Amino acid sequence: MKALQLAFEGLGSAALALFDEAGGMALLAWRVLVGLLTLKLDWRELVRSLYKMGVQSLPIVALTAFFTGGIMVIQSGIFIRRFGAYGLLGFGAGYATLREVGPILIGLMFSGRVGANNAAELGTMTVTEQLDGLRALAIEPIGFLIVPRVVAMMIALFCLVVLGNVVAIAGGALFGKLLLNVELSSFFHSFADNLKPWDLMIGLVKAAVFGLAISITSCHFGTSVKGGAVGVGRAVNNAVVAAAVAIMISDNLITMVLR
Amino acid sequence: MIALSVDVVTKTIAGAWAWLFRGRRTRGEVVKQLYQIGNRSLLFVCVTLGFLGMVLVFQTCLQVNRITGDLSQVGAEFIKILVHEFGPSLTAMMLATRVGAGIAAEIGSMVVTEQIDALRMNGVDPVDYLIVPRFLASLVMTGVLTTIGVGAAVIMGALTAYYSFHLNPVVFLDPSHVRVGDLLTGIMKCAAYGAAVPIVAGICGLNARGGSEGVGTATTRAVISASFVVILLDFFLSGLALFTFQRGGL
Repeated sequence: MKALQLAFEGLGSAALALFDEAGGMALLAWRVLVGLLTLKLDWRELVRSLYKMGVQSLPIVALTAFFTGGIMVIQSGIFIRRFGAYGLLGFGAGYATLREVGPILIGLMFSGRVGANNAAELGTMTVTEQLDGLRALAIEPIGFLIVPRVVAMMIALFCLVVLGNVVAIAGGALFGKLLLNVELSSFFHSFADNLKPWDLMIGLVKAAVFGLAISITSCHFGTSVKGGAVGVGRAVNNAVVAAAVAIMISDNLITMVLR
Repeated sequence: MIALSVDVVTKTIAGAWAWLFRGRRTRGEVVKQLYQIGNRSLLFVCVTLGFLGMVLVFQTCLQVNRITGDLSQVGAEFIKILVHEFGPSLTAMMLATRVGAGIAAEIGSMVVTEQIDALRMNGVDPVDYLIVPRFLASLVMTGVLTTIGVGAAVIMGALTAYYSFHLNPVVFLDPSHVRVGDLLTGIMKCAAYGAAVPIVAGICGLNARGGSEGVGTATTRAVISASFVVILLDFFLSGLALFTFQRGGL
């Protein structure tokens, strides 16, 4: 009886915590939307964030994309060697990279680098009461800090996935030649002939949505930090976990709706 | 940074060896970490891998419908690729974010509040005391969570195939394509990821400097380094497997 009561208590408090966070994120998203529509955002912060989140993430994203292309070629290679269909390598690796694996892996890396960093930065500002300081100076933290970051993350991830796709395909072609001895021209023909612009588009839509998901989760957990250095660490942890779940769920929804 | 990394890696391996074969154990610490790393990541891994299974099956069925229209092999091939590639790698990516961030945040805040110095002052080696239990727990739990995650992905994949493409689950749930080589590849990957994530995260945590900002930076660095190491290991181990385990009829 006691155990049952404890189980229900645990379930209830977990559900309450979940809805609490989800509601906080929805509220934050709504405020960001209002701030965006009324153009109440700090443009200099936007440019600064774009540089910090976009340009400075380029090396890690390019490296990730390069090896992602290699991994996809190796995985397609297992099928292709079995059926002797070397002409389909570009198609197989390209389809998987553009539509699915590219956006997800780059998104997860982006969440680790930018989302976590953002949560840590906002968290530090929250625990050192800098957000209250801004409010005391009659500066609204949403328009000053949050909206520019949300916009910057969406744009940055979109551009990074575009560039990452290029690097991944180039890496795939290279490793296809090195590991499976598929000529570069045959790789690119099979890539270009079989894939449609829609395959690229679906990946780019995903990139923008992942950017939104990462920014909302990291800003929410960053601004709701409680309790010093330990709290900041925990907030970063929660932010990346929530971002990963959000990426997976939105990935499904986009795939099911847009096919 | 490099000296510290080498130091942590050697001490962790030596400590794990001593723990396993010479009985040098801190009581209950590994069990605690098994709970922290394993049980508390269970829901996260199940949710993410379940959704991954759904989306992979959906994409594959779309693609196959475009070319041949024969969906009968999708399930068997899906289970195969899940065992040797997506199961271990995506679970490890998830653990790199959750467990990696957790380890770095915990150790990082111990560094900035000078608890690590206190440990040293008492003659306790921080690597032995903090990283070795996490290393052992992660080694075990990456395998366990991958197994459970693959199960979740297969179940969700079968449901997606049934509801979206009317593919009979009996046809879908066909493990006959999984060879010994695939299993070996999966196990090898689990072991490598499980070993790498806590070490990388631990190094990042021990490198934390300055107050709460330093903890945030260390946590960020842990997530990104651990994820990247997983991708790198995936690439090299997949390449290795392509030319050894998965070559020919094994």
